[in-house]
Amino acid sequence: MSFLAAAWVVCVKDATEELRRKVAIVAVFFFAATAVTLVSFAMVGALALPPADRPPLEAALLWIILFFAAATGLPRAFVTEEEAGTGLALRKTIPAVVVLAGKTLFNFLLFLAMAAITIPGFLILLDWKAGSPAGVAATMLAGGYGLAVVSTFLSALVARAGQRNVLFVLIAFPLLLPLLQAAIAATIEATAGGFPATPLRVLVAYDGAATCGAYMLASVAWED
Amino acid sequence: MKAVPTTIAAENLSKAFSGAPLFSGLSFSASRGLVAIAGRNGSGKTTLLKILAGLARPTSGRVRVETDAAPSASARRLAVGWAGPDLQLYGALTAVENLAFFRRAAGRPAGDAELTRRLRDVGLAEGAIHRRVEEYSTGMKQRLRVAFAVLFDPPVLILDEPMVGLDVEGRDTVDRVVAAARERGPVLLASNDERDFARPDQRVDLTPAGARA
Repeated sequence: MSFLAAAWVVCVKDATEELRRKVAIVAVFFFAATAVTLVSFAMVGALALPPADRPPLEAALLWIILFFAAATGLPRAFVTEEEAGTGLALRKTIPAVVVLAGKTLFNFLLFLAMAAITIPGFLILLDWKAGSPAGVAATMLAGGYGLAVVSTFLSALVARAGQRNVLFVLIAFPLLLPLLQAAIAATIEATAGGFPATPLRVLVAYDGAATCGAYMLASVAWED
Repeated sequence: MKAVPTTIAAENLSKAFSGAPLFSGLSFSASRGLVAIAGRNGSGKTTLLKILAGLARPTSGRVRVETDAAPSASARRLAVGWAGPDLQLYGALTAVENLAFFRRAAGRPAGDAELTRRLRDVGLAEGAIHRRVEEYSTGMKQRLRVAFAVLFDPPVLILDEPMVGLDVEGRDTVDRVVAAARERGPVLLASNDERDFARPDQRVDLTPAGARA
């Protein structure tokens, strides 16, 4: 069985559990919907801003919402396994790198579903104009993948720590800062109508480096 | 090719938490039959079995497992079956879904009929195997743990307190599983109750001050 097929099995298991329990999904989507609604009320005055001044503000707000909504659900990947006591069964039967890949895939799909709710909310409630839809889509894919892979790896790293929530935030902030900077820069360019080639290159490079690092250290983080 | 006898060997194993040794210098080897792991509460039985199962690292020493299994890391991982009191399976999934998940993720076939047979073998009734595990009683969860331990027909079987929470029928079921497994290879069974050791072929006693094989 191929590595990807095994990872897909892990992803489907996580999705099945989540659809039955609806813990992360409800938290993530409730946060995203609430944040977009509140921001739309707060931004009434900003709608009067000249169109050229709005993209940086809108891009920053969009990624703040995406990041914090993701932060309520993505770190649960490995933490729930430890809390439920199922981590031992996973470690006994499935290589860490497969579990990491499967959970990254699930988190990536969760992020995309969250973006699929947040972005239409932005378009409707904030009168946001995505000048380059292809640019926005590419940014969401590259940014979302990076967020998923780093969050999933950190979840494995802190899953058995005592102060895991604090630890996650402390480690995640410096690791995710370059990703968020590049994602915001790419969103600003895409909002203005251009294809964000340069920030996307940075995102893709970040994703590649994060993937390599996570997969090389998966066993150490999860099994040791 | 000549078959390699399945062997699990502890070589000079030591484990310490916060400086105090739980056991030290522990060595033994088993190729077939029942190895009784005995000792008082807190003597390190569960920790020892986790080390032997590859779920924990010793402070020093090593575990050697020799089997006919393919030399891949994945095959070696599945060559030792384990179940212990802190093993939990997914509560939101049914028993069949749990076993199917682990089989599929390990790249093994996971037909419904085969998995149903395995669950029946540990005494789970037809009506129970399609219910979510979170609805199971303590004894039913214990039976499911045993089914998980033998899910890949491992040549080495490690069971930590397998009789806890089981009724007479459940204890008989575990006895049957152990009897079949000890014919294939070594079975290491830890318990606080001497009655759980049915004619052991070898005994490892752990004491708080150290270990004596």
